Amino acid sequence: MRPATQLLRQNWLGYAIAPIVLLALTGCGLYGGHGTAAQVVRVTERDFKISAPKHVRAGDVVLKVGNHGPDHHELIVVRIGRSPLPFRTDGMTIDEDAVRRRTVGALDPAGAGATRSLRLRLAPGRYVIFCNMSGHYLGGMHRTLVVGR
Amino acid sequence: MIRRAAPFRPFAVGSRRPIAAVLLTFALFSTVSVAFSIRATNRSQNRAAMVEVAARQRTLVERYVQEVLLARAREDAAPAYTAALLEKSAAVLLRGGKVPAVHGDDDETELAAASGAPARAQLQQEARLVRDLTRAGTALLAGRPVESVPQTAHEHITVKNPVRRLRVLAALTSNVSLNAARTIATSTDRNVSGLITLQIVLGIAGLAASLLLGWALATVIRRQTVHFRSLVTSSTDLVLVIDEDGCRYVSPSVEAILGRHEIEVLGDGLRHCVHPDDIPAVEAAAAHGDAHEVIFRVSNRFGEWRSLEAHVTDLRRDRHIRGVVLNARDITERVELEQELTRQAFHDSLTDLPNRALFRDRLDHALARSRRGNEVIAVLLIDLDGFKHVNDSLGHDAGDELLRQVAQRFDKITRTGDTVARFGGDEFAILLENASEEVAITLAHRVIEEVASPVTVGGRDFSLGASIGIVLHRGGAGQSEELVRQADVAMYAAKEAGRGRFEVFRHDMTRQLGELLGLEHELRLGLERGEFQVHYQPAVDLGSNAIVGVEALLRWTSPTRGSVPPAQFIPVAETTGVIKPLGEFVLREAFGQAAQWLRDGVLPDPFVMWVNLSGKQLTAGGVAPLVLRTLAATGLPPSMVGLEVTETAIVEDGPSGARARAELEELHEHGVRIAIDDFGTGFSSLGHLRRLPVDLIKVDRSFVQGIEHDAKDAAITANLASLAHALGVLAIAEGIESEGQLESVRKLGCDLAQGFLFARPAPAETVTRLLAEQGRRVALRSAYRESA
Repeated sequence: MRPATQLLRQNWLGYAIAPIVLLALTGCGLYGGHGTAAQVVRVTERDFKISAPKHVRAGDVVLKVGNHGPDHHELIVVRIGRSPLPFRTDGMTIDEDAVRRRTVGALDPAGAGATRSLRLRLAPGRYVIFCNMSGHYLGGMHRTLVVGR
Repeated sequence: MIRRAAPFRPFAVGSRRPIAAVLLTFALFSTVSVAFSIRATNRSQNRAAMVEVAARQRTLVERYVQEVLLARAREDAAPAYTAALLEKSAAVLLRGGKVPAVHGDDDETELAAASGAPARAQLQQEARLVRDLTRAGTALLAGRPVESVPQTAHEHITVKNPVRRLRVLAALTSNVSLNAARTIATSTDRNVSGLITLQIVLGIAGLAASLLLGWALATVIRRQTVHFRSLVTSSTDLVLVIDEDGCRYVSPSVEAILGRHEIEVLGDGLRHCVHPDDIPAVEAAAAHGDAHEVIFRVSNRFGEWRSLEAHVTDLRRDRHIRGVVLNARDITERVELEQELTRQAFHDSLTDLPNRALFRDRLDHALARSRRGNEVIAVLLIDLDGFKHVNDSLGHDAGDELLRQVAQRFDKITRTGDTVARFGGDEFAILLENASEEVAITLAHRVIEEVASPVTVGGRDFSLGASIGIVLHRGGAGQSEELVRQADVAMYAAKEAGRGRFEVFRHDMTRQLGELLGLEHELRLGLERGEFQVHYQPAVDLGSNAIVGVEALLRWTSPTRGSVPPAQFIPVAETTGVIKPLGEFVLREAFGQAAQWLRDGVLPDPFVMWVNLSGKQLTAGGVAPLVLRTLAATGLPPSMVGLEVTETAIVEDGPSGARARAELEELHEHGVRIAIDDFGTGFSSLGHLRRLPVDLIKVDRSFVQGIEHDAKDAAITANLASLAHALGVLAIAEGIESEGQLESVRKLGCDLAQGFLFARPAPAETVTRLLAEQGRRVALRSAYRESA
């Protein structure tokens, strides 16, 4: 399991807080309070490939993530730093704990046919979006996203 | 539009349909539910097996990688076998079939093909990845480059290291296997959830439908129950369910009918209410239930007996009843009415004594007992003498009162077991059982005494007589009719013997009576058929030798008996009462004939038509009105008719004799002549004779016949003639048959004579001729005198 999602999954408080935070964010006018609409980016996952635009504008971004299956997939957004993403000791999955500080968002695994949104505020830079289920990253499910101004 | 009310059918078994509907609905819902359960269970079982196999794939993938690595290191391993298991299992998961067993682990499992698009897509992906994995493993072991193995599952593995590449493939395969198992498990969960939901829905729907139908059924049953309860409670009939232990049910109408509470009748209570005589009938009905109707008496709250008529229905085999049902209704009024009608039919309404029918019935029973036990039975038939006078003089009310008092006296002097009956009129009968001739005679004496003892009616005291006929039956066979008839014969004999007495029946009486009754019948028939004729015998004035009157004499020519002398049939007519119509006939005929002669101008002057009156006629009363009525009808002057009465009739003591004399006086005052017939043969006193309204005395033919040779007869005749003259009346001699007799009576002072010497009794035509000849002679004599 990935620690980023695990945090939310294992902490019941997180379930309770999440909608409140979301409501608070909404109340703060993230969607329209400041007059700028969030950029919607369509992301498609399938075995074993992630399709998404290469360039995205910085700011509020909503990733509309659709899983075309057939396997279950998750989505993690990590800002790319100077070093490549580190693997766990199994050599099959990215060490999410190691990149927690750079992780800007994540979606739990979902089955084929699921479509979900991931709300992000992306600063300009390079990001990698990937599925970290066992072997999926190495199987080809990762994509670099360039956020520009 | 006419709306018709739904017909009320309390006995229709309407509840069957709702019950059937409830059961059917319940069965339908249960069947659907069970079918779904079976299907869902089967699917769940298949899916569980699939989950197990899918999960096993993950283990097999890891095992395959380890075996490839071991084989590569020349260790013992069988990666090909595991690869085959993997490929076969992946294919079976997708298409269905028999999943091969893993050695030492599990058995072969039969699976159905996977259903559901997501699961099938994942299993297809799994199959592709397994193929890629096993090919990669085979390449690795064969020393071929793993990178050259085609990636058929759209994987984009860029790893160069062949082992790591193999492990990535294994991870992908393991992952998709795990997720496929999850998808199948989730689908199973949904299946179970759906089944639970369906069961809940079906259960609720079935329960609702069943409740609805049950409610409908309960409503129908309640309505029927209410109807039945209303019917039973409002019914005036009493419904009882009884068995050998007593009454198990009684309808509430018991309060209205008997004034008793149900508790009083239930169980043993009924037995205490039923009349002791009727308990066997009720118990028999309860024990057998085979009687259709049973009538029994039950005491009500006030201790009065009420008669119930019950229809019996045997429902002991009906498991709802298990008893004999009595549908009873109160028929007390009907029973009382029947008893009253029966009482009226067998009792005399005036005296409340048994009537002839009941007397006959009791006599029949007594005769039956007598036949068995040789008991002596006595029958006394009583006829009151003089009752008619009370009835005529004081009216029927007084007569009725007299009869009531006499009945009470008879009742008083008889024993408890004896039967006193009134046959009608003034005729009573007494039946004595266990009697003897002495007992019967003693009672007859008592009856005569009681009747003779004065009875006060209408303020006047009356003393009656009783003529009693007694017949004794001394065991053996006998008929009531015969006994009563014999008592009747004996009673007639008592009357004939002089009234106020009794006679014990003897068999020789029967013959006499038979003759009497036979003659009576013929007399009545003769009157109807015109067998009677009136003949006339002239009476001659001994001074002038002229006819001065005729005596009307009744003649009967019977077709069977020929010419019957009056001496034979007149006493019978008197005894049987035929004398009354006969007397009327003679009066009518004689007066009519005289009137005819008068109109024809053949009658001499003076002339008297003499008609005989019987003693019975006179004492029965009503002669004066009859004579006057007949005179008026014929137009004959009263002075031209005379009545010949017997001495005994007019000198009789008592009320009837007095009445006879009064009537004769009345007629005499109207001018009707009165003659004393057969004077000298009775016991009349001269004192009586003096007071009588007499115009003529007839000297009996018995004196006249011996008048020529017997000095006594001549002396009597002379005395009678002298007596007549002394009293200022005429004397007529009867039965003159010879010139000698004529001379004698003339000498002895008789004024008139009658007999064969002058003329025999002859029909009217003959006498008419005689009268006409006499008329011509008289006319001729007058003519000679006038010419001389």
